[in-house]
Amino acid sequence: MPTSWLDVPRDWMSSLGDIAKFCWRVMVEVFEGRALHFFGETLRQAGILILGSAIVIWGLAFIVGLTCGIEGAYFNRAVGAPSYAGVFSAWCDLREAMPYAFGYMMSAKVGTGLVAEIGAMRISDEIDALEVMGISSLTFLCSTRLLAAWMVLPFMYIAAVGAGFFASYLAVVQQIGEVSSGGFFLIFWMFQNPPDLLYSTIKGMAMATVIVLVGCYYGYTASGGPVGVGTATAKSMVLNTVLVHLVGMLGTQIFWGTNPRAPIGG
Amino acid sequence: MVRAAADRAFLPTKNLLEQVGDMMILTGKTLLSAIRPPYPYGTEFVQQFLFMLRLCWLPLLISTVAFGYGAPGLQAGNFLVIFGAVDRLGGFFVLASIREFAPFVTAIILAGVGGTAITADLGARKIREELDALQVLGVDPIKNLVVPRFLALMIVTGLFNIFALIFGILGGVLATLTFDAPLGPFFATLLSNATTTDLWGSVLKTTLFGAIIAIVSCYKGMTASGGAEGVGRAVNQGVVIEFLGIFAFNYVFTQTLLATHPEISVIK
Repeated sequence: MPTSWLDVPRDWMSSLGDIAKFCWRVMVEVFEGRALHFFGETLRQAGILILGSAIVIWGLAFIVGLTCGIEGAYFNRAVGAPSYAGVFSAWCDLREAMPYAFGYMMSAKVGTGLVAEIGAMRISDEIDALEVMGISSLTFLCSTRLLAAWMVLPFMYIAAVGAGFFASYLAVVQQIGEVSSGGFFLIFWMFQNPPDLLYSTIKGMAMATVIVLVGCYYGYTASGGPVGVGTATAKSMVLNTVLVHLVGMLGTQIFWGTNPRAPIGG
Repeated sequence: MVRAAADRAFLPTKNLLEQVGDMMILTGKTLLSAIRPPYPYGTEFVQQFLFMLRLCWLPLLISTVAFGYGAPGLQAGNFLVIFGAVDRLGGFFVLASIREFAPFVTAIILAGVGGTAITADLGARKIREELDALQVLGVDPIKNLVVPRFLALMIVTGLFNIFALIFGILGGVLATLTFDAPLGPFFATLLSNATTTDLWGSVLKTTLFGAIIAIVSCYKGMTASGGAEGVGRAVNQGVVIEFLGIFAFNYVFTQTLLATHPEISVIK
């Protein structure tokens, strides 16, 4: 239990170098193709990711899409352009809300799940057992999970964007009935293009990578019995929520900055 | 065969419904024992309150500035710049910051940082059988552990909302400066569009978010079980339920507020 106001930043500072070194090692293992030696394990992790996390991630994306929809409908009614609710939905969903919803649910479901799972292995000395058997535990446990995330998550992310779009359509057209279906979709598709989807996906993937790496780090370095696993899980969530917001801001700044990428104006 | 298939389909649902029911019962018990004398939880309440403040202030500060600068600041600013009306960004921040993102970023941080800490703490006590020991000693865990956390989290989330609001608007100020626009019109439109209804709606919403977070974290912590993975698993499930609960409640609340108070969405 922290007793001082500066405990959280001090904790980050003291583990920053460790985390960076750990992330670098895991990424190198993936890029050098060593994770492919355990391709079966990678596929198993990918399956766990799909079966365990897809529904909740899409569920959160759907709820956030609904909220975006009603806010957009009421805002556009207020400015006297209710038929333009599609602009708000297109930008809010695709560019901002979906990456954040994805990042939140990833850190809650996948990030803390990884800490609990790998941390329990560390506590019951299974990781040492792997090393004794001559299997590189870092490759087997962390790199395979990162590779699995990279294989599965782009598709899961795009499906989440679809869930958000569908929810916004339901909220604006069916629930509030501010604009006709055709009018909504005309504006909605006009104000987005494939590069926007690509940028949004890159943003989501950057968050996912950070979350998986942070989860693996806190699990891999857990100590202090069952209680230690719980504490490590809580700590990973602290770092993940902050990093999700920072990655989201940097992504917006890099990809859109002060260039609106809209089909109007000069 | 049919039985097995039915079990496979309905057992998770039954499990979920049972958990929701248990949480409702815990909420009822917590409210009752908060009101009913004696009140032994004063010290614990102050400790939990300060604990939350110390734990959450920095993550919340970084997150709200980042969110305010990126999502509503740059994106909405971009849109308004096309029409040469970047001074309207202040008015948009009433909608964006006060009504939407300050409350839910506060809730996300409190759930992710404070809620997980509570679950880990109570889960550790459950695993070490301290909760059972308390009951043997005749100390009621709900009155002495859950009630102070419930009250502290409700109040601290409501107050942190104001903090998040201020730093979210700081993000908007940074975005306005990025567009080389003057700050006077930003604050002018912000203050002329802000209403008291928005503010109390925002604070009420976050206070209720705090209640959701506290009940789910305490419930998951107090029912943690199952060896080394148990506490970690409890934190994991708790934070997932909290996030879904927060966003579902946010949708219902925003919809109700906007539909019952049409005057707050009039642009001035």
